[in-house]
Parts: sequence; structure tokens; C-alpha cells
Amino acid sequence: MMLDLLVIGAGLTGLMAALRAAEAGLRVKVIAKGMGALYWTPGTIDILGYLGAEERAVQRPWERIHELPERHPYRIVGVERAQEAIEWFRIRTAELGLDYGGRRDGDNALTPSPVGAWRPSYLLPAGQRAGDAEDGRPMVIVGFQGMRDFYPHLIARNLEAQGQAARAAVLPWSVLSERRDRNTVQLAEALDEPKTQQRLIDALRLVVKPGERIGLPAILGREAHSWVLTALTQELNAAVFEIATLPPSVPGIRLATALRRCLEERGVRVEIGMEAIGFHAQDGVIELVETATSARPLKHRAKAFLLATGGVLGGGFDSNPSGRFWETIFDLPLTTPQDRRRWFRPLFLDPRGHPALRGGVAVNDAFQPIDVAGNVVYTNLWAAGGLLAHADPIAERSLEGVAIASAVAAVEAIKLGSFAHA
Amino acid sequence: MKRMSTDVLVIGGGSTGVGVAWDAALRGLRVILVEKRDLTHGTTGRYHGLLHSGGRYAVKDPQSAIECIEENRILRRTHAHCIEDTGGFFVVTPEDEGDYPDRFKAACAKVGIPCEEIPLREAFRREPLLNPRISRVFEVPDGSADSFLATHVTAQAARQAGAQILIYHEVLDLLTEGGDGDRRVVGARVCDVVREEEVRIDAAITVNAAGAWAGKIAAMAGVPVNVIPGKGVMVAVNHRLVNTVINRCKMPADGDILVPVHTVAIIGTTDERVSDPEMLTIEPWEVDLMLQEGDKLVPGLSRSRILRAWAGVRPLYQEGYTGESRDATRALALLDHRRRDGVAGFLTITGGKWTTFRLMAEKTVDKVCEQLGVERPCLTATTPVPGAEQGHYWLGHRLHEVEEARLQGDLICECELVTRAMIEQAVANNPTVTLDDLRRDVRLGMGPCQGGFCTFRAAGILHELRLRAQEAQPQTDVNGGPPWNVAYLQSPRHSVQTKPAALDSRVSPLDNPNLLLRDFLQERWRGLTPVLWGRQLKQERLDELIYLTIMNVDHLPEDGEASPLTEFWRFDAAAGAKEDGQ
Repeated sequence: MMLDLLVIGAGLTGLMAALRAAEAGLRVKVIAKGMGALYWTPGTIDILGYLGAEERAVQRPWERIHELPERHPYRIVGVERAQEAIEWFRIRTAELGLDYGGRRDGDNALTPSPVGAWRPSYLLPAGQRAGDAEDGRPMVIVGFQGMRDFYPHLIARNLEAQGQAARAAVLPWSVLSERRDRNTVQLAEALDEPKTQQRLIDALRLVVKPGERIGLPAILGREAHSWVLTALTQELNAAVFEIATLPPSVPGIRLATALRRCLEERGVRVEIGMEAIGFHAQDGVIELVETATSARPLKHRAKAFLLATGGVLGGGFDSNPSGRFWETIFDLPLTTPQDRRRWFRPLFLDPRGHPALRGGVAVNDAFQPIDVAGNVVYTNLWAAGGLLAHADPIAERSLEGVAIASAVAAVEAIKLGSFAHA
Repeated sequence: MKRMSTDVLVIGGGSTGVGVAWDAALRGLRVILVEKRDLTHGTTGRYHGLLHSGGRYAVKDPQSAIECIEENRILRRTHAHCIEDTGGFFVVTPEDEGDYPDRFKAACAKVGIPCEEIPLREAFRREPLLNPRISRVFEVPDGSADSFLATHVTAQAARQAGAQILIYHEVLDLLTEGGDGDRRVVGARVCDVVREEEVRIDAAITVNAAGAWAGKIAAMAGVPVNVIPGKGVMVAVNHRLVNTVINRCKMPADGDILVPVHTVAIIGTTDERVSDPEMLTIEPWEVDLMLQEGDKLVPGLSRSRILRAWAGVRPLYQEGYTGESRDATRALALLDHRRRDGVAGFLTITGGKWTTFRLMAEKTVDKVCEQLGVERPCLTATTPVPGAEQGHYWLGHRLHEVEEARLQGDLICECELVTRAMIEQAVANNPTVTLDDLRRDVRLGMGPCQGGFCTFRAAGILHELRLRAQEAQPQTDVNGGPPWNVAYLQSPRHSVQTKPAALDSRVSPLDNPNLLLRDFLQERWRGLTPVLWGRQLKQERLDELIYLTIMNVDHLPEDGEASPLTEFWRFDAAAGAKEDGQ
């Protein structure tokens, strides 16, 4: 039976879009080249952390959306629909055992980054909520001797400099593993084992003082995370939180894993390792997308297609030294300047971001890619997530919010549009 | 004001200045060297790494060619571990017509450069990616050199012989005595830019080895030295496309050298006269030209992933010369300002090239001895620097040692195989003020991710080291500097087997990890922006995700403060303001 919707891209956008479509009764499949950017991100849901050159973090993201550019994805979705989308995400992930929550008043939460800067996020997974700056209790940041991706002294120093009482403690590496060459994902897997958990609890008992919140690298279990978190909190009688560090990022992987399992249970296939290499369209209608797989190309036919390949970061865009910047599957028109002298600003940390990374696929109000004249490029193609024009989700700290809100809005439009007259 | 006195004051911590300090110290002279930033911060640290056989200059500039081949032979002994014995090819592509190849062969024979035409089959067997339309190949004893290591280890040798090396000491003014026609340079007023202290250095002779900045220094003594600043742009390719240095067999021009250096290959260079040695902006056309010319040596080079582009400024010198910098001589120029300008106690050494730095130093110190009225022979040609007994560099040595010593879990920079112990040794064993200094010591952040993962890790490690230093009793030398020991910095195994020296406990720029992060990220960005497209742009976006989304480094406390690199940081910001104004 022909698919109603083929989603290209398995990041947060693609997975949420597929889930939304499946809930609406569409036959949907996800294809993707790689695992998606969730494997790199801290697992928080960031709506809007910074606006333009403002030094201070945005306090209430929903109240500032109207200050974004007119064709920013949030402005197209609208605040109310975007809030609904985030609430839908929260409910669905709660059902999956991931307890996402934020501050009560709609403020951004602020949690320590791996260099001890406060990160503004709207929703935090359960494992990160005790790190919120709002809770004024002192922190002990606990690292492990020789762990190359976590520096508790650095975090404590910068938290102190910003008025948060914090100190650092270091536990022996042997608490976690006998092998030195373990990354955070492998350490999280080690902590799925009760024996390792107990070693960690015993070691923490020796360093934690009463009343302190305990900050640890985000390695508190991969599959057994909520169990590990509860065990530590209860046994130590202290608030415990994780700090997500360099990729691969365990909290992001937990979210990706839960969403993919949920889709599988609903009968939605998520096929990884499928790089789209071509497509066929007739009269402005896409008939199929071809992927490169071993020995032969595969053709994926569907009534509707959702492009969620994530722009530069996800590999959805490519560029070359002659200044060409293009969308890799359908060669959609991009707003990116086609002149590489205009792509970057001289300062890496320029708060305005870089023009090359703010450009992308322009869409109409139904999230259908349009050309310069405003005409829909293909009648059965939609786009959502990091590839959208007029946003720089990394500079804005809006990565997950843009992903979820635009994914939901695009699927709603697909439901209305393509199947009303199909 | 702190006051020091010496026989010889050397200005400039590039290969030439450090060579002069080494030579003079070996001859028993008291030496102080001042460098305004880190050693090799200027042109020495911004070149392609070619140890010339002299072939490149055999036809056009035989004097340079003779100097090159003689020095090539010497450096292979004295600085063995700083050199990879790659050998070099001069290749004739379809565009290189005419009688140049035969003239080249004859000229090599005349100046004594071993040069053998080898069968094409043999050449393609050794370098399979070479342009198949190449019609002739000549083999010469070119090599690949690590100018960072060579200069640092030469400085160590100089210190062992008694020289003082003061980095981050900028010359404010030269001290002169006497009136018109009878003037004399008697030292310099310098600023310790890290501690913001002024130091007066009295010297019998001052040697200006400031490279592209030599004109500025000479002007402080009222002496005109017209250095021809020839900007050269270089581009590093992700892969070591060749294992042999490849030169086009034609008159030297742009983009005709491809040098394998460590894990990458570097294509260079342009040669453009610029007005200011600090103006190292790279234009898109310069990168395009390098890639286009590179394709003629290795077809497809332009489609490789490009890691980085940078520019260095050659300090060329030719008395009275006003032409193009490409045609200016590469021969060394030693200016005796007593004879030339009536200003005694002052020499300028410029021109030349990295390969001839030892010879430049020798001639300079010969002149110094003559003017001081002492007669002592030069010893550098026969004195190996520390660590030379390790033999030539070879590509797999770090990987081999990491595997043998099982250090995989301690890799801080996976691209360049830098371990935690190597970083700790580098910081403890020679003055380190920024992460960029550390890059020059151990190649931190020079690989494909351009610091994406290791910048954060190195900042964390340095912060912990500094915390420990503040608690410990430091062992420092007479200048308060660390015990300079850099001969084995490149060795993962040696670094883990040796106990690092205790750190200097005085206040250091390293005490602010936030500025280290900010400045190194900016420094890497500077070299990336000219070549950011395709896969390297995707990598850069991941680096942004790391430093903005995950780390939020642009919202750290104190991140707006000055640091020893801030001048460059601001410099770039000014360029940005211009862009916005257009």
C-alpha cells in the first residue's frame, strides 16, 4: 500500500512529525542517512534562549516570539499553536517514561553547561531539573579522575563567579569502569548495572555534604536512567542532576531512543542508512525519492513528502567554494546568499550569528517550500525543522522548539492540504 | 623599572632570532631574546613546512640554492626529529613547457643539488594520486619540517647554553646614544605584556631579527629598512594526498608546491606584496587559485575537504628593490647599520627562508663577534639540538606510541593524537599563555574538527593545572620561567613516563579559562572562514552546536576582558564593523 507520508530525516523534527502523522492515522515512514542531531544535543527543549545581541537570556520565551523576524518559523506557526505542540510533546514523552518539565511560570530554566555557563531551556528532562538556578541550594559538581569530557572545577568556578555556591569533587575513575577508553554513552551503559550504581552511591556518600545538590556528567544510565536517578536521590537523600557534555550526548540519545521505539510500536518504520540520492517529479508533484543502499537504489513512493534534513548541521544543505549553497535532495531555493564573501562574520561568537547559517528553505504558511516569487515548488512537499529560513536555531537556542513546532504545523497542513482533495 | 644587561639582545622569536640566540650563546656570549608573542608566532609558524633542497631556486637564484642544499644537509643532523625525510619531486605538467626542465637539471648539477630524473612508472608507484599527464619527474632531497618544534627546541638549546628567552615581551623603543653620525643602539625598552611591566635591557649589540616587522624595529633607531612584505597564502587539505614534496618544474610561481606535513598536505603559496605584516586577510580568489593550481599536481585536490587557510609574510629584502615580491631574492640580507647608516651596535638580519635560518644566524653572530672584537668559531653546524637523537619524524609515531602505551582513553585531541600528559608537559615545560601557544607545542586543534572537541577539554585541563599550581611550591628558573624542556613534547609515551615540572604559581593569563576558550575559538575561526564550505562547514556547524547550544560559551562571566590575544580579536572586530558599514 502506498505511503501517505514519507519523512526524510530522523532528528527531532522527523521523529515528531512521523509520530504526529501516525496519530492522525496516516501511513508514514521515516528514512534518514544518519541518526539525527539528537545524538549530539543535551536533551533539553530550548524554545528561545537569546534574542539578537541581547546579553541576557530570554526570560519568558513565548512573550518574545513576536520580536523575531516576520518569517521566522515560530511566527508562521503562531505562539498558541507552538505552545500546543510543545505541550503535546510533553504529554507524549511522559507516556514514554521521559518526564519533561520546566518552571511553573513559563520562564526559561537555567542549568549549568559543561563550562559552568547558565543554559536557558524551556523544558528539562527529569534528570536535569535539580540543576535549575532558581533552586538556590549549593551545588557539588562531581567529576571522575581523568574524564576528558567533564571538568568539575571549571564548572564550579564559573558558577561561583555568577553567584551560585558551588564546589568541585573528583571521584576515582575506577568507580565507573576498569577501562580508561570509555565515552559517556559507554559509561551510562555501565551505570545501567546495579553493581556500578552501588559503587557510585558509596563513593558519593563520602564527598557530599548535607543540603548540597549533586551535579554529575550525564551518564546516569542509558536504559535504566529513571531507576538510577531515583536510586541516587533516595540513597543519598539529595537532589541529583546531570550536565550533558560533549557529543555523543546521553540525554539526547535517551530521547531519540524513546521516540524511535514509540514509532516502531505504532508500526512506523524508521530506516537509517538511507541517503536520498534523487527524486522523480512530474507536473510539480513528487512521485518518489530514491535512496542509496547496498547494491541497488531503492524507490520510496508516497503521496506527501516532508523534508526534515536539518540544514547544514544535518547534511540537508551543501555548499562549494564557488559560493553555491544548495539543498541536497530537491535543490530547493534557499535564502542563503550565493556569495561566500557574505557567509560569515569576522567574530565566531558574533551574537547575530552568521548569514550562511540563517539562510534556508523559505516556506509559506502551510510549511510548503516556496520560490522567490512565493510560488509553491512542489505541491506535495513540506519542510520543517533546522533547514527553515529566517532562523538560526543554534544562535537563538531554539533548536528543539523550532523542530517540534514546525513538525507539528507541517503535519497539520499535510492533513488538511494533500488529503482534503486527494 | 626592571633592568637587565647583556652582550647581545635579539629581537624576534622566529627561526632566525632563536637561531641567533643559540649561535651566540654557544660562542659564550651573554644573550637575551625578546619576542612580542609566542615563539614562531610570526612567519616561522605560518609557512608550509618545506625543507628546501634548493631545487626551487637552482635556476632563478643560484646563491639561495647553494645555501639551501648546504643547510638542508646540516639540519637533517642537528634537527633530525624536526624533519621528515619525504624526499621531493619536481614534476613537469602539460603546462610546463619549454626548456626549463633541462635547465633545471643542469642548474642543480652546477650548484651541487642531487637531482635524478626517475622513470614515470616509479614516480606513479610512489605517488599514485599525481596527475597522470605529468611527463617528467626529477627527484631531489626536499623534506618536510616542523618549524614549531624546531624553533622551540632551538630555544631550549640556546637556554642550555645560557641564553635567556623572554616571550610575550614587546619592544617599545630602542635605546640610542650619541648624536648625528655617531649614534649607537645600546639596548631596548621592552614591555612584559603578560605582567604589564616595563623592562630596560642594556646590550652591547642589538640584533633585529623581527622578520616582517624588521622595518618597524629599525625605524625605532631612525634607520630605514625597507622589508618587502610578501604575503603567502597556504591551504591545508584534510588528507596527506602525497608522501613526497611535490614541486612544479618551472619558474617559481603561485600554488606550485604541495608539502605533506604530519597528517595533512599543504598547498602553497601566493606571493603578494602587502603594506602591513599584520594584514593577513585571505581573499576568496587566493584560496581558489591554490586549489586550481593544486589540481594540476593532484587532480581532484580542490574537491578534498579543506581544513584551513592562513597567510604568512615573507620578510624579503633587496637593497633598493621596488618590483614584485615574487621576484625579490630569497637570499639572506645582513645589514650592518654602522656601515650602512652610521648607527653602531645594531644589525638587521632578514630575507632568507626557514631552511637557511642557521646560516643566517651564523653570519649574524660572525658579525656580532667581529664588532665585539672576539674571535670564536660558530658551533651550530655540528651541535645537535636536544631530542635530535630520536631520529627523523615519521607519520605513524604518535599512533604507535598511543597504542603501545594504551593511551586511547587519554586522547584530548583525537585528530592530532594529543594526550592529556602531552598538554601537561607542554604547559609545565615552556612558557604557555594561550591555547594557541599549546597548539604550536603539540598541534592541539590542528586536525579536521579544528578544535571542536579539544578546545573545551584543554581549557578544563589547564584550569585544573593552574589550581594545582596555586597550591604547589613552584620550581622556576632565575627569570621565573619554567624549566624549558621541549625536546620530547611530541612523544605521547615520553610525556606519560615523565613527571611534569611544577608550574609557576604567579598570576598567569591561564588563570582565566573563559578567555582561553574565547580566544582559541576565535583564532581557529579566523583560519576557517576562508575555506568554509561543504563538509568542513558541516563540521563547523557541529562546533557551533558544541560551543553555543551545549556550552553557552558566549555567556560566560568575564568574557569581555582583554587577554594577550585580544589585540587580534579586536582587529577582526574592526574588519566586521567595516563590513556592516558597507
